[in-house]
Amino acid sequence: MPANKHQVLIVGSGAGGAMAAYELTKAGIQVLLLEAGRDYDPLTETPMFKRKAEAPLMGSGNKDKDFGFYDATVDGGWTVPDEPYTSAEGSDFKWWRARMLGGRTNHWGRYSLRFSEHDFKGKSRDGLGADWPFEYADIAPWYDKTEALVGVCGTNTGLDDMPDSSPGVLQPPPKPRVPELLVAAAAKKLGITLAPMHRAVLTQPLDSRAKCFYATNCGYGCSIGAAFQTTTSLLPMAKATGKLEVITNAMVKAVDTDAEGKVTGLVYIDKTTSTEHTISARVVILAASACESARLLLNSKNAKHPKGLANSSGQVGRNLMDSTGAGLGAQIPLLRNRPRYNEDGHTANHLFIPWWGHAAQARGELNFPRGYHFEIGSGFGEPGAWVSGDFQGYGKALKDEAKANYGASVSFALRGEMLPNDDCYMEIDEQVTDKWGIPVAKFHWRWSQHEINQVAHGLQTAKDLLSTMGAEVGELPAPEKAILKGGEIIHEVGTTRMGESPKDSVTNQWGQTWDCDNLFVMDGGVFASNPHKNCTLTIMTLAMRNANWLAKQLQTGAL
Amino acid sequence: MTTNKHDEQAYQYIPGMSRRESLKWLSVLAASAALPGLAACTPSPTTMATSSAGHWPDLKLAPISASGYGKDPNLIVPPTSAWPRTLSAEHLSLVAVLADILVPRDGDVPSASEVKVPEVIDEWVSAPYDTQQQDRPNILASLVWIDDEAVLRFNRKFVALNPAQQLAIMDDIAYHTDQENSEFSRISGTFNRFRQLVLAAFFCSPQGTKEIGYLGNVPIAGDYPGPSEEAMSHLNQVLTELGLNDYAYIEPKSAQL
Repeated sequence: MPANKHQVLIVGSGAGGAMAAYELTKAGIQVLLLEAGRDYDPLTETPMFKRKAEAPLMGSGNKDKDFGFYDATVDGGWTVPDEPYTSAEGSDFKWWRARMLGGRTNHWGRYSLRFSEHDFKGKSRDGLGADWPFEYADIAPWYDKTEALVGVCGTNTGLDDMPDSSPGVLQPPPKPRVPELLVAAAAKKLGITLAPMHRAVLTQPLDSRAKCFYATNCGYGCSIGAAFQTTTSLLPMAKATGKLEVITNAMVKAVDTDAEGKVTGLVYIDKTTSTEHTISARVVILAASACESARLLLNSKNAKHPKGLANSSGQVGRNLMDSTGAGLGAQIPLLRNRPRYNEDGHTANHLFIPWWGHAAQARGELNFPRGYHFEIGSGFGEPGAWVSGDFQGYGKALKDEAKANYGASVSFALRGEMLPNDDCYMEIDEQVTDKWGIPVAKFHWRWSQHEINQVAHGLQTAKDLLSTMGAEVGELPAPEKAILKGGEIIHEVGTTRMGESPKDSVTNQWGQTWDCDNLFVMDGGVFASNPHKNCTLTIMTLAMRNANWLAKQLQTGAL
Repeated sequence: MTTNKHDEQAYQYIPGMSRRESLKWLSVLAASAALPGLAACTPSPTTMATSSAGHWPDLKLAPISASGYGKDPNLIVPPTSAWPRTLSAEHLSLVAVLADILVPRDGDVPSASEVKVPEVIDEWVSAPYDTQQQDRPNILASLVWIDDEAVLRFNRKFVALNPAQQLAIMDDIAYHTDQENSEFSRISGTFNRFRQLVLAAFFCSPQGTKEIGYLGNVPIAGDYPGPSEEAMSHLNQVLTELGLNDYAYIEPKSAQL
């Protein structure tokens, strides 16, 4: 049992929790961080340079390792042993979790695009969803600080969908590769501009972290610290202050409150001994992931908070959003047998397609209100369990056909903004508990016509791009079939959204819950909307800004 | 293509040993029906049609009950035998012969069996996961069908046929077209999946990865160099052919970093 010296308890060591721990400890505040998963050491556990051939089943994915054998995720994926979740009838939602120090930051895609004023004020523009309780100008300096600390490569483009970073903040992006350059030309003919992806990958050294050496998949984790994860950066930096204590295998069960309803601490289960512990502190920060934090609040109901803690608005668990996802690809005949070279790069998009439709939407030319971007799938990737092509025959001709197909396909992955709707939410399933006796999350999900129309537009655009590159694309799938399941893009946010009023939001702009002033949420749950740009950079930026604000409250005695 | 596999003595594939090496051992092992530790699950006798048309084996496969490698396997030293292998020695040998017809030795480039493709296939069809469990009956049915067909046509198992006989069967099942002969449509479908697996296992091997031209997974000291001159010159030809020269990518005016 840790000594009661900590001022702040943080639940979760991923993007939000680790950033909060970093910011608070830097300000001299004693922090105790609880992580539900096991300890994880990227230096000794990352399978750097390991080949698929050395892994079972050529490294391919399955229910044990959903994203492939070497994916960094520990004890997680679409299922977590002994920790189920349920879905309402007719709903099919998938929830990705990790049970390890650093959480999902150990394997994430590292795409790091800023939200814009346009993104933050969608409701003011089209009347849908909710606005964020601040302006872009309020958060822009914090994006700068976060990008500089994390290390983000990319370029300022001046495009309306991509706010500029301050000079000197971004690191240079890597050179684009052949299929990306071909897509760029085809897109330009259609009036669409490609841009360097912004990615939390170092192209120059930063503090103790090495720059990328352009090899070995970032999804495996990165022992040299080039691809950002909290286990090689924020957590060791926070520990170096001497102010951070971390307890792993600590599954938080409930937030504790006193008779007045004020938060006093946490109840957690030490998974190694299955024993329950109570710890107290002045402030509690939930950063367990949007749905895990909401689950915790709903499971912490008491006489003062009968609908769940911090849920007087009834919005905890509501407004659950993911990104829309859909994909379309084809072989580009002119890319067959193209000259080989090392096309790994930083192992993800060097160029991508930012949303180009702001003006068309403003003119009312599109039948969906919010944008999307395309990520490009292409390249001479490491061969694995799947070979591209429709094969005939045998012998040398067969092998030559497979070689001709290698690196000749291009696919487009749509990632779009969805709007919150009344059919998408999570609650507690009172019938089911996990191994620790904690009632589990139950999901409700249905895409609205906004998302279906958006995906239909994306599929047609992807087909136009592929056709412009000379590919034969058959009939498009129906958008209702093409859209991926809720949760599958792993951008679930919104379940404890921030806002201007305690009536329709759970926290204020600082992530401070309206109902309990010493209880904060610093994960994706606080998102008021879910712009198409991947949530992690904004989770970290908000956590930095809000932990900084919290530190001032503690230092001035306001809390 | 299939030299020295058509002797009266049926060829025996030995895991962990290339086919060339294993052939040297053939006489030593000729008497053994199966090697120790193999043949965990031999498919049951099959239902035969009287002619080659329309037969299909009625397999009764024991379910795979092994557990997988779990959600926290050692990624640095991956498990090499996370579940028991289930292909019989006879089927391993058949897989080796088929794999080498699909991907024969090509100059200095080894054949499929020389890079242990049969073991990868065995690992695959024996695995306790959904994808592999779906493949398993199709792959095993293909193997049994091919031997049944060999016996019906030539009165010998496939590995004991001469190359011309083997290819006569291959020519019937290795192509699928719109006007395909319906008696081979089912086997050509399942054989196609087998072919995909053999190709994947071949190209995933170190030698196959080299053969397909993957040049990555090599640390680069400086900046990523981008496409080679040859690759860029090819791209420019492609842009010309597509009439896209005027639209070539221009880097954004970088924000004067």
